[in-house]
Amino acid sequence: MPTSIRITLLAALLALVSNAAVIGFIHWRTYDESVATLRQQVTDQSAFLADIYRTGGTTGLQTAVDDVDDDDPQAEAAVLDRNGRPLFGGLASVSVELSEGYHPAIVRLSDESATREAAVYLHRLPHGRWLASVRTAGEGLALRQTLQRSLLVGLVLAVLLGLACGLIVARYVGRSVNAVAMVADRIGRGDLRQRISVTGSKDPFDTLALQINAMLDRINALMDELSMLTDTLAHDLRSPVGRLRAAADAALAAKSPEHRDQLLANIIQQSDSLMRILTTILEIGRSEALASRKQFAPFDAYQLIAELSEMYEPVAEEAGAALILCERSGDFAVNGHRQLCAQAVSNLIENAINYGASGGSIALDVSRSDGRLAMSVTDSGPGIPEAQLGEAKLRFRRLDSSRSLEGAGLGLTLVEAIAHLHGGKLSLADAQPGLSATIEIPAAIEG
Amino acid sequence: MGRKILLIEDDRETAAYLMRGLGEEGHVVEHVTDGREGLFRLSDGTFDLIILDRMVPLLDGLAVLKAMRAAEITTPVLILSALASVGDRIEGLECGSDDYLVKPFSFAELMARANALLRRRNRPTEDLQITIGDLVIDPLSRTVRRGGKKIDLKPREFLLLEYLGRNEGRVVTRTMLLEQVWDYHFDPGTNVIDVHVSRLRRKLDEGFDRPLLRTVRGAGYILES
Repeated sequence: MPTSIRITLLAALLALVSNAAVIGFIHWRTYDESVATLRQQVTDQSAFLADIYRTGGTTGLQTAVDDVDDDDPQAEAAVLDRNGRPLFGGLASVSVELSEGYHPAIVRLSDESATREAAVYLHRLPHGRWLASVRTAGEGLALRQTLQRSLLVGLVLAVLLGLACGLIVARYVGRSVNAVAMVADRIGRGDLRQRISVTGSKDPFDTLALQINAMLDRINALMDELSMLTDTLAHDLRSPVGRLRAAADAALAAKSPEHRDQLLANIIQQSDSLMRILTTILEIGRSEALASRKQFAPFDAYQLIAELSEMYEPVAEEAGAALILCERSGDFAVNGHRQLCAQAVSNLIENAINYGASGGSIALDVSRSDGRLAMSVTDSGPGIPEAQLGEAKLRFRRLDSSRSLEGAGLGLTLVEAIAHLHGGKLSLADAQPGLSATIEIPAAIEG
Repeated sequence: MGRKILLIEDDRETAAYLMRGLGEEGHVVEHVTDGREGLFRLSDGTFDLIILDRMVPLLDGLAVLKAMRAAEITTPVLILSALASVGDRIEGLECGSDDYLVKPFSFAELMARANALLRRRNRPTEDLQITIGDLVIDPLSRTVRRGGKKIDLKPREFLLLEYLGRNEGRVVTRTMLLEQVWDYHFDPGTNVIDVHVSRLRRKLDEGFDRPLLRTVRGAGYILES
């Protein structure tokens, strides 16, 4: 059964049940009340007639019984013998269980041929006779019949209204759901750029659409990252594998053992570089899986940068650049993965040495503001043109000018993954001249 | 002098390769292929070194390591693992291993590390002077003299020389230096270690006929007289 029909029927059923409940309640209350009134009236009447019998005897009672319907046409009374047959009064017959008290009963009045529904109060008289005070249920009954008719009409109306309601809801919900379903279907068939249209009505369906769209955007971004990584990977792996092959070929053809040894050593070096790339990829995957968070511990970011500065100072010097470490300007406690942070910063330093050493200096800075800690590496080399910065931030593939040097693409991806692991980010900026790379992560909470 | 080494490794090829190499070096190697058997064998504490693959059947390497450390068996353990990420290495070391070597590795690297661990096993004290030819390293006063002449070293250069000195006559690899002297467990892309070693060599060997610090091609460095 299609969803829209199911929704329609459900709405109709709900309307029916709620209407029936309301009408049923009114019916029950009014019926109950009219019966209670009748009961009260016959009880009063019986007490009145019993008083008359007590003071006026059978003669007095006979007159009173005959006169009962004078002011009130619905009231009747009679005296019955021990078998319940009327002796005198306004009743032709009554079928009722003979016992003291109130009974609903079927009666026939003396001047009528049809029976009526009535309320009867029986009061025991001496000699086995019964005083029956009667009130026909004309008005209560009529009310009830009216109610029953309106109940039926109401129910029919309820069903119709419910169906209409259901149709409207089903159309509305169906349209919104179908819009989502259609987009999901297209995405399922491979068109990942599809988005659900947002009506701007701010209803739950709009909110849902916005959430689904945001989710799709995130998935898209991840897939872009992945395909970028695969691209970079394929590129970064091609060259070392190519050189490995060339070196192996050359070793095969080598004339002297010394030359062969040299080429074999070269092959080992090439495979190491290949292993390094694979390890980096693995590291990126691990960092993104957040599993390393269990190895988080507090450490001092300034001390880490100072250590790395000392470690890379001779390397930078050989490349013709001076490493300049900023003065300590406060507390730089971080809760994080010291080894991975060291790897990230050393990656940035190595990049600066490889691509920006020509500028003559590389500055290492640690600063803190608003609970966030920034570690930045700024070179004064050729940098990245402003126009390409955005692209560089989006896709850490090697830019054309640096294509001759290996590994920077993956390296930056790893740095970014490590920043993400710490709830931070990596940003690149034009330092005019040079490139400034900054890792920003939350500082440890003090106290 | 040959030592007793327990090899816990399920990969036949790696095991055969290691047993041949370690045998040629004069060591006695016992080989088991699963963690449970390995834990049983090492429990008597008679081995000088345990080479433990991280992923062996029945009881994985880290579990073996934790169990033996809990039983206060202090035999040095060198972990071999295909798990190469920094986090994996740290985890391995935190579980009580003395060294962590990522597969694939060169035999030279494994030998260098195994020798460093075997040497550490019977090292008398940390504070004793190290004398190599005319070179004297004094860890207490943190001074270095060669031929009676004092050599000025930066703190890190001293640590580098001290580590090389403690492994006198043995090859020390670049990765070992990065891990032991700098305490970093990632693989740097530049020749950062080489640059530091050549600086140290300049201070150490300049003006002397006999170089003490030599490069071993394809393996690392060696400090010997």
